[in-house]
Amino acid sequence: MIKTVDLKKTFIGRGQTVYAVDGVTTHIKPSEVVVVIGPSGSGKSTYLRCLNGLETLTSGQIIIDGVDLTAKKTDLNLIRREVGMVFQQFNLFPHKSVLENIILAQQVVRKRKRGEAEEKARMLLQKVGIAEKENEYPIRLSGGQQQRVAIARALAMDPKVMLFDEPTSALDPEMVGEVLEVMKQLAREGMTMVVVTHEMGFAREVADRVLFMDQGKLVEEGTPEHFFTSPQEERTKLFLRQVL
Amino acid sequence: MNSQKNALLWHGLTVFILFMMGAGLWVATKKIDYTWRWNRVPQYFVYHHEELVPAPYDARVVSIENLRDMSRIKIAGENGEEGVFDVDKESLRVSEDEDLFEGDYLGATFEWRAGPLLWGLWTTLWLSAASSIFGLIIGLVTGLCRVSSNLTLRNLSITYIELIRGTPLLVQIFIFYFFLGTVLDISRIVAGISALAIFAGAYVAEIIRAGIQSIPKGQMEAARSLGMNVPQAMVHIILPQAFKRTLPPLAGQFISLIKDSSLVSVIAITDLTKSGREVITSTFATFEIWFVVAFLYLMLTSVLSQVIAWVERRLSVSD
Repeated sequence: MIKTVDLKKTFIGRGQTVYAVDGVTTHIKPSEVVVVIGPSGSGKSTYLRCLNGLETLTSGQIIIDGVDLTAKKTDLNLIRREVGMVFQQFNLFPHKSVLENIILAQQVVRKRKRGEAEEKARMLLQKVGIAEKENEYPIRLSGGQQQRVAIARALAMDPKVMLFDEPTSALDPEMVGEVLEVMKQLAREGMTMVVVTHEMGFAREVADRVLFMDQGKLVEEGTPEHFFTSPQEERTKLFLRQVL
Repeated sequence: MNSQKNALLWHGLTVFILFMMGAGLWVATKKIDYTWRWNRVPQYFVYHHEELVPAPYDARVVSIENLRDMSRIKIAGENGEEGVFDVDKESLRVSEDEDLFEGDYLGATFEWRAGPLLWGLWTTLWLSAASSIFGLIIGLVTGLCRVSSNLTLRNLSITYIELIRGTPLLVQIFIFYFFLGTVLDISRIVAGISALAIFAGAYVAEIIRAGIQSIPKGQMEAARSLGMNVPQAMVHIILPQAFKRTLPPLAGQFISLIKDSSLVSVIAITDLTKSGREVITSTFATFEIWFVVAFLYLMLTSVLSQVIAWVERRLSVSD
């Protein structure tokens, strides 16, 4: 589904070259739920953002569904509609109502008819459990509700992969559950997901595979049981001691 | 309750201060030798125009028929022509069976006509409206170029903005009229509107740029991650939000433009200011006319402020 080969992303600032992502090679299979964890600044968000071209890579290769993202003639916009993304800060469109937030891209990008798009939007709002808020503006919703709308908005494009960039980090603790619940349901339905998160509970419960990153490098990967019970690398052990 | 009472007191003080200033001005004008003639002003807004009706050829008055307040005169020419003319009853100058020579006046008709001040107001209004619209278009395009990733577009827009903001509008108007007007053979009206629009465009561009840059980066990322391309994201996501944020400064810019439009009077466009000057030459009511002109500008600008405030309220539903 998603293959990354020796992915590198460097930022140059104040004469220094920072290796945000430093040679990550992995293969994410269809219907797999991959959770990326690691300390702050380990490059996990940057890695995720590379996957739908929000960051341009310095070197390496990303192949999504057989299409090489780095090839010159690849239309990133075509890839992006197949790859849904959920942000830490929700990034709902504040000037549009909840329903319009979900309809807009369907109409503009997928060229769906208004009625069809509305039907889809209502169905998804039902699914994430806020059907009654369709005419509200985002500002009047709680963080958890906003994030669920954001998930519905991404799902409306019928993506093949969903990327989650710390979806619960900006939420009040009591709203984390409702968002994770939606994500778990998605995972159960067989959606391919890449999730950057600090929610170890979610990783343990839902992940098929856990990637641990530090300083841009993929330090260790494995099933949750392997990862949480018998990690091999020193760095992983240190990290887990501190967060668990 | 208490604070409301206090507020009333402060408002009262405001009125008092304004009243004292007005009274001071009044006393000051009393000391100089100036006769106020406000009664001369209204005729420069509208006036009763007398149109004399001449006989078109040598003729004889056949009949005069009385309508409500008009008289219908039928005349027959020597060569068999027949004519019917309506004139005001009061102004009737002929009687039945009278012989007329070509050019003799049968009477007159009266109609209300707009005076120079009203025409000037109208000219200022549409001149400002036209330059606002063009200014907004120019500003929008330039603003988008200003934030574009293309270096040439960015350089060009910066050059334009710096050039316009660094020179006085009055000088620009002269250049447009005397230089471009001559080279490109454009009329004074076109020169005036272009100068104003291009002047406003530079400021609007900076306002639009600030508006676009004030929208969080996440908005563009969210739009792009849904598969929209940059133009689509701009049209549907960024610009509507930027427009809402830039409405107050844009309003200020367009209010400035209405006032700046008075400068085109230097290239002999008869706008409100120039009309005022012309009326003064025939009335010598200098003080009155300038006060009236100022008041008319104030009316235009405050109507615009109200309209913008209304749009702002409409757009604030999502706040």
